[in-house]
Amino acid sequence: MGLLFITRFTLLEAIRRRLFLAVVILSILIVTAFSILLSIVINASQGDNNNGNNTQLQLLGAGVLITVLAIWMVYLLSSTLTIVFSANMISGEVDAGTFAVIVPKPLTRVEIVLGKWLGYALIVCTYTALLFLSFLVVIYRQTGYWPTDAPYALGMLELGTLALLGITTLGSSLVPTIVNGAIALMLFIGAPTASIVQYIVKFINPSSQQTVQNITTVINLIIPTDALWHGATFYLLPPAADFALLDLPQNFNTPFTSGQPVAPALLVWAALYCIALPALAALRFQHRDL
Amino acid sequence: MTQTYKVPAIEVQGLRKVYRSLVAVDDVSFVMYRGEAFGFLGPNGAGKSTVVKILTGLVAPTKGTVRILGQPVSNLEMRRRIGYLPELPTFHRWLRAKEFLAFHGHLYGMRGMVLEKRCREVLELVGLAGRDNQKLGTFSKGMMQRIGLAQAILNRPELVLLDELVSGLDPVGQRDMRDLLRKLKSEGMSIFLNSHQLADVEALCDSVAIINEGHILKVGAPQSLFDEAPVFEVRTNPVNKELLHRLGSIALSVKQDEEDPCLLYIEVQKEEQAAEIAEVVHACGSLLYGLAPHHRSLEQLFLRTIDASRQRAPVGFTQP
Repeated sequence: MGLLFITRFTLLEAIRRRLFLAVVILSILIVTAFSILLSIVINASQGDNNNGNNTQLQLLGAGVLITVLAIWMVYLLSSTLTIVFSANMISGEVDAGTFAVIVPKPLTRVEIVLGKWLGYALIVCTYTALLFLSFLVVIYRQTGYWPTDAPYALGMLELGTLALLGITTLGSSLVPTIVNGAIALMLFIGAPTASIVQYIVKFINPSSQQTVQNITTVINLIIPTDALWHGATFYLLPPAADFALLDLPQNFNTPFTSGQPVAPALLVWAALYCIALPALAALRFQHRDL
Repeated sequence: MTQTYKVPAIEVQGLRKVYRSLVAVDDVSFVMYRGEAFGFLGPNGAGKSTVVKILTGLVAPTKGTVRILGQPVSNLEMRRRIGYLPELPTFHRWLRAKEFLAFHGHLYGMRGMVLEKRCREVLELVGLAGRDNQKLGTFSKGMMQRIGLAQAILNRPELVLLDELVSGLDPVGQRDMRDLLRKLKSEGMSIFLNSHQLADVEALCDSVAIINEGHILKVGAPQSLFDEAPVFEVRTNPVNKELLHRLGSIALSVKQDEEDPCLLYIEVQKEEQAAEIAEVVHACGSLLYGLAPHHRSLEQLFLRTIDASRQRAPVGFTQP
């Protein structure tokens, strides 16, 4: 019960904080600006090219690429929000001294940590879902493209967000806020490096590919956000059979997109990761002197 | 014939806390009984806050046992029956006063009308009636102390632990809080008071503990801690060499006040020697204007105890 009170309190705090309001307003502005720009670009391209069915297919093909780019923006925005929002989850309260009156109350420290984690998880997951759907609706209205596996893509994004939240939750129980934020940001930005290196090595030195693959796997185990983003891109694409029809490139295995779904083993690992890190944070906080 | 037993509210036995290489408290033991007010005194850095944090579960002891209301600190049911106000209370500034109290009331398991009524009651008790909708961010330091005390007594605790309650309050606020603490004590609430305000502690507390450099130096009822010889203040005239000589022969020491030569401080072995002093004054032909026991304040006891402990161990904290 204490856990749910802490969750409710965390949600109330998020609503009252100006950061949340700023993020919501900026997100609405971004989606609106995106909608206007997309409309201008499509109207301009339709004016240049009026070939009936062909135009419709070209529009759908463009919709696919725009979807991947737009959802990449959702991935960046929600990941950044997760880090900025939750880096001080525990350390901030410890530094401010606000835990001094909460911890002696009749609730366990595990309830405090997991209650806060649940509150943040609800916020970032709701934000990710709303932004994801907003962009898809805008793209659908302008281009007619709607990824058939959109729920799976959203699932991958949410899992990535929760993985990042797990890192910041554990970090905030171990190190000061600024250090925690820096670590999470470095890991998040550093994770795609492996994908980029792997892509380059494939062309330059194919014999080293296995070694690089192993390093990438290790990095994906440390921070699975990039792997999950690649998984999300797979579900944003139409079936491979339609690639030629929509005039799309045949190979989507790039440093930023993937032509294959995420391996089930990695999915299981990511799910465990999302649960284990907050649990470790709760365990650590249980023994922390305040 | 009925016999009343004192029931412990706080039992601390062999408490030790080490932060890395620093021994914050060592072998601290004391008992505070239910219904009494207990003053916990010590200079800055003596280990007071560490002990209070251990009592409230904020810090885990390295060694030793603590029982609050007969239960270990981790017992959640026991925690429903205590209240705590930390030193320099910092609360969520975005909350309104009533939301803050409602949140803490919920954590205590209070609900609905009972909680609402109690929130209004405690706001009135601490002098914040009508401030229900004011944000804590706009509160002064003194008001923060008051709302902090309100949350500490919200659940009608059997034991309340107060860390430097009056530090942010003006004289009127300090008086109000003193009156409130007396009222709470008269209602049977046990009060653990960690304070620098020795006059408050002296006026309110049944027992005190003096801690310095992590060790308890004295613990007990304030009057029982005055273990030095009684001193009388004697006002007489004239004060001559013969008088001083004869008084010196019956007393442990005789000191003449530096500013008032007619005022003498006479340290004797026992209080019954007051009559002897009067006889000597008369025998020497001096007039006796006043003879009264010299008031020994808790502050003097505290300062003397701390000074003595510093002379014994001039180095700060001990290393493990």
